[in-house]
Amino acid sequence: MKRPQRYWEDVQVGEELPGFSLEINLRRVIQQVSGTQDWYPLHFDPQFARRAGHQDVFMNTGFLQAALVRVITDWMGDEGFLKKLYFEMRRQQRPGDVMTCKGRVVDKYVRDGQHLVECEVWAENEREGVTTPGRAWVVLPTREGT
Amino acid sequence: MAQKFDIEEVRKRFIGMETPPAKGRYPVEHDPIRRHCQMVEDTNPLFLDPEYARGTRWGGVICPPSGWLALYFASLGPWPPAFEPLVPVVPAPGKRIINLSQEVEWFDVIRVGDHLSVRRRIVDVYQKPIGIDPEAVWVVSELVVTNQRDEVVCMIRNTHLFHRTPEEVAAAHQEGQP
Repeated sequence: MKRPQRYWEDVQVGEELPGFSLEINLRRVIQQVSGTQDWYPLHFDPQFARRAGHQDVFMNTGFLQAALVRVITDWMGDEGFLKKLYFEMRRQQRPGDVMTCKGRVVDKYVRDGQHLVECEVWAENEREGVTTPGRAWVVLPTREGT
Repeated sequence: MAQKFDIEEVRKRFIGMETPPAKGRYPVEHDPIRRHCQMVEDTNPLFLDPEYARGTRWGGVICPPSGWLALYFASLGPWPPAFEPLVPVVPAPGKRIINLSQEVEWFDVIRVGDHLSVRRRIVDVYQKPIGIDPEAVWVVSELVVTNQRDEVVCMIRNTHLFHRTPEEVAAAHQEGQP
């Protein structure tokens, strides 16, 4: 069964991108290493992380990026195209946190023949608030087929 | 006594430096995509189900548009498992690395079976103190990922921070260093 498709005409500025929450726990830390093949110990070895001046291990760039990408690709549908994603790792997602990822449409316009939607996307948790703010530029199809 | 770190010398030597192109050890495969999706509970069939993906505009399974995954497929792949930085490393007082930001611009999708390569270039190097290290070094790099037809699929801009541990900072202070 086809997944729902977003069309550019139907998008409203201010519209929220449905997000999701993930528990950050030991299992997730292991999945992070498996899913990113990032063997830098900062992201799985608490002793290494503490020696570096951090309170604990924290989730890596690849994991956070995958989560923000999921917010966008879940929303835009199969025919959408993520043109650009910018994000900052300002605070940490650590074991014990529940990471929630969300998004919001902030603008839509046509540029160089492309029907673009600009979105804020971010990851947050209860301990730190927004940890990973970002911005995404998405090309959506139109109902007329452009 | 440790030699004083000369940021101007590092900037002269490294800004603009491009690393030799690296080619992925293997073509883009299904299973690393599955593991990547699994860690964030992404069940999108466009990334996971060949039969479903064949019926879409893309004609087959594509990678989630993650710069990290593109770099993974464009690098040698850490085997034996060891830390292999995906960005250029410059001399700095500290060896601990934190990725601070990333921008990924996409020009095409990545399909299973593509064979990716990457070129890396250092765009900027500067020193700016952080709470735990007054001598922290910031490195901005630009990476260009191409496919087997030499088409650019994405460009990635990273800002990394290299810092010392609190023990290393304290030891440097004892030697009269910053």
